[in-house]
Amino acid sequence: MKVQIKLTGALHADIIRDLARPHPFAAERVGFVFGRAGSLTDHGRLILLTRYHSIPDDQYVEDHTVGARIGSEALTWAMQAVYHGRPAREGIFHLHLHGHYGETGMSATDRREIPRLIPGFQSVGRDAVHGIIILSADHGSGWVWPQSGTEPIHADCVSVIGAPVGVFDRGRAK
Amino acid sequence: MSKDRYSRQSFLGGNAEELISRCTIAVPGLGGGGSHIVQQLAHIGFQRYVLYDFDVVEESNLNRLVGANLTDALAETPKLHLAKKMIYGLQPNATVRGFACKWQEKPEPLRECQIVVGCVDSYKGREELEIACRRYLMHYIDIGMDVHGKERPVIGGQVVQSSHGGLCMRCMGFLTDEKLAAEAARYGDAGHRPQVIWPNGVLASTAVGLAVDLITNWTRNSRSHAYLAYDGNQGTLKESLTLRNLAIKACPHFRDCEVGDPVFVEL
Repeated sequence: MKVQIKLTGALHADIIRDLARPHPFAAERVGFVFGRAGSLTDHGRLILLTRYHSIPDDQYVEDHTVGARIGSEALTWAMQAVYHGRPAREGIFHLHLHGHYGETGMSATDRREIPRLIPGFQSVGRDAVHGIIILSADHGSGWVWPQSGTEPIHADCVSVIGAPVGVFDRGRAK
Repeated sequence: MSKDRYSRQSFLGGNAEELISRCTIAVPGLGGGGSHIVQQLAHIGFQRYVLYDFDVVEESNLNRLVGANLTDALAETPKLHLAKKMIYGLQPNATVRGFACKWQEKPEPLRECQIVVGCVDSYKGREELEIACRRYLMHYIDIGMDVHGKERPVIGGQVVQSSHGGLCMRCMGFLTDEKLAAEAARYGDAGHRPQVIWPNGVLASTAVGLAVDLITNWTRNSRSHAYLAYDGNQGTLKESLTLRNLAIKACPHFRDCEVGDPVFVEL
């Protein structure tokens, strides 16, 4: 199934600006971005990102075994946001930044930790599509869990609709 | 292919060729304007196309349809075929998804694009394209020309760019309820509208320039919108006076959250 993710240049800039800020103790920042779905040919899905939620400094948990760990307050907020977004079938995407250039992927820690959030999001927003997005300095990758699905689909493309336009194809370095 | 191929456009940026090749661009309408657009996109290096046109070449098209010849008029060659021929002749590895229908009949491929260059005839058609572009996050660039008056004909036209976060065609004063109503009242009585090749060439070239700038940002203008008015009698293309004198700075017609497939909420 083809999956594409789009966001505006302004939203992309806001996200990068926020995630690039140093945190008092965490090695990196994470955030949540919301997305609505559009249909593509052959049952493909287009995810259109709408708004970003920056996680307050005090909602991180000190854990030096990972780059960043967020606490129950941040997760409860995210679950509530998904619940309130149900009428619009708005999904939520966990978001963080890898500081390098070129295409990026999930690290071993990312693979182990972040997908564990998805069943919770699916339980409160079962008609929406949720997932993970990782941005690099000049690229981006996304993984999308379809409604009630257990396995993610790696997005074929993340597009930034701004000036300049950014088209980050899967499997094609910058 | 030699590295010299794009050497004359290297001022667009070191990675411009790569950026342009990755962008998916749609051209709904492959007539007088669209045929110019497609030709130029192929020359510049675009590799991914979504094209729409259900029409075939007729003799009355030959005064302005780039790529068409007498044989095409006799054979009633589909305009889509002409566009594909032009693209593959310059970009044999291009991906061209062509649809011999109105875009509204097959809207999903359009949604995958980053830029749409609309070459449609009606205000209603332009409005529908802009709504689709806002809803599925695509830059919309519109071109069109018209000839007014018979005693002293006046050629007018426009190139409009409508992008998410910028002013829309209504904000810029290009689309109005009056124009849409007048057009609706003329429905079925459109007749043959005057069209000539050179204004289409000017407008199409300008639209392609805007598209290339959106991708490469070589001018560093980072335009969120544009409305350029063409005066074919004076031979000028200038920022529209309506836009220059506009008081509003933010679009009230399209909201950031109104994207994706419409969802019907039970009350």
